[in-house]
Amino acid sequence: MRPRHGFLWFLFVASALVAVGFFFVPAFIIRPFHHQTPAALAMAMALRQRAPWPTLAAALVCFVFMLIMWRAASPWRKIFLAFVMVLVGFSAVMSRLNYFEWMFHPLDAPQFESASASKLDKGEMILAIRYGSDARAYPIREMAYHHVLNDVVAGVPVSVTY
Amino acid sequence: MWTRTVNGRVLHFYLAGINNQNFLMRDRETGTWWQQITGKAIYGPLQGASLELVLSDELTFGEWKSEVSDGKVLAPVQKYTKEYDSDWEPKVAKLPVVISFPGTGLKSRDVVVGLEIDGASRAYPWDALVKQSPVVDHLHGVPLLLAVGPDGKSFRVFISRIDGKDAEFFLKGENESDTKAAAPTTPKAWTLLDSTTASEWNFQGCAISGPSQSKCLDRVPALKDYWFDWRNYHPDTTIYKR
Repeated sequence: MRPRHGFLWFLFVASALVAVGFFFVPAFIIRPFHHQTPAALAMAMALRQRAPWPTLAAALVCFVFMLIMWRAASPWRKIFLAFVMVLVGFSAVMSRLNYFEWMFHPLDAPQFESASASKLDKGEMILAIRYGSDARAYPIREMAYHHVLNDVVAGVPVSVTY
Repeated sequence: MWTRTVNGRVLHFYLAGINNQNFLMRDRETGTWWQQITGKAIYGPLQGASLELVLSDELTFGEWKSEVSDGKVLAPVQKYTKEYDSDWEPKVAKLPVVISFPGTGLKSRDVVVGLEIDGASRAYPWDALVKQSPVVDHLHGVPLLLAVGPDGKSFRVFISRIDGKDAEFFLKGENESDTKAAAPTTPKAWTLLDSTTASEWNFQGCAISGPSQSKCLDRVPALKDYWFDWRNYHPDTTIYKR
């Protein structure tokens, strides 16, 4: 029995490391106010890109093993199992969520007002684009928060970025 | 600003991360990662693709409103108005940087206007532009006119060529009188004169009187950016010095 149990623990920990690694490694690399080297960035994007399925699979594996091992486990091991399971579940969920958009909310349905109705101060900076007679202004103060805006100007899909 | 049609497919971008303080975006359709400043796909199914640059302006609302007859302005969203920080510029200017390029005389967060012509790039320190506007320069053999607008905040870059001939530009009235009796210059009085045809030009780069009347100069896309960010993506950039 012992060696088999040891193997189960090994699988549990290995699966947990996969799940946690797929979320935390890219999250750690792509963090603001820190330098990103090209190699680290490439790894972060590769992991983040693939993360949804491996983290889910690893979370399921961990969960099954936790159920198998729960009864025979000592109290300390139960705490360990539960703690790791929470971490793994967190990784699986976070791999599917874009926390950057929690900091800077996207603007999915931009609304426009006429230049004459706008209450903007005349000294306020804007990004301007014009296609034929369709002229649009995007206040930089708003864009510096949302960062990305998908718009269509005179039928041309554009991405306003700041 | 970019067009977002790639290989006939319209993409929708979202903020996805940060790379040395220039943001990364991904598109919902393919999950490809794009670098904001270059418009290049750096990882994912569309890696290697490039977005097409849209000619855009960085102007004051007042300048823009005086130029367009019926423009539309992105309306503020009520629930985010607290986030639209009017003081963001001085705050960001104080943020630390994670990459730096010493030895140029420019500080990391000095603002520059960067432009690129046939692979050659040059950064124009903003303070120098404001002081010297209009600036006439050459990059990769192309004559350039960089002008800061009547408001001292808007800027545009043009090819300073009229009918195929290189031209120089001056601010009208600049050297006419230094006496205090001179009428205070109102924004409306902002006019450029060219040395070739002696026509008058407005800030949109169009001649409003003189032999060149109704002609417009060709535009050059330019980006107002922090020096460190511009230099990071344009390693061979030169720096404008008078």
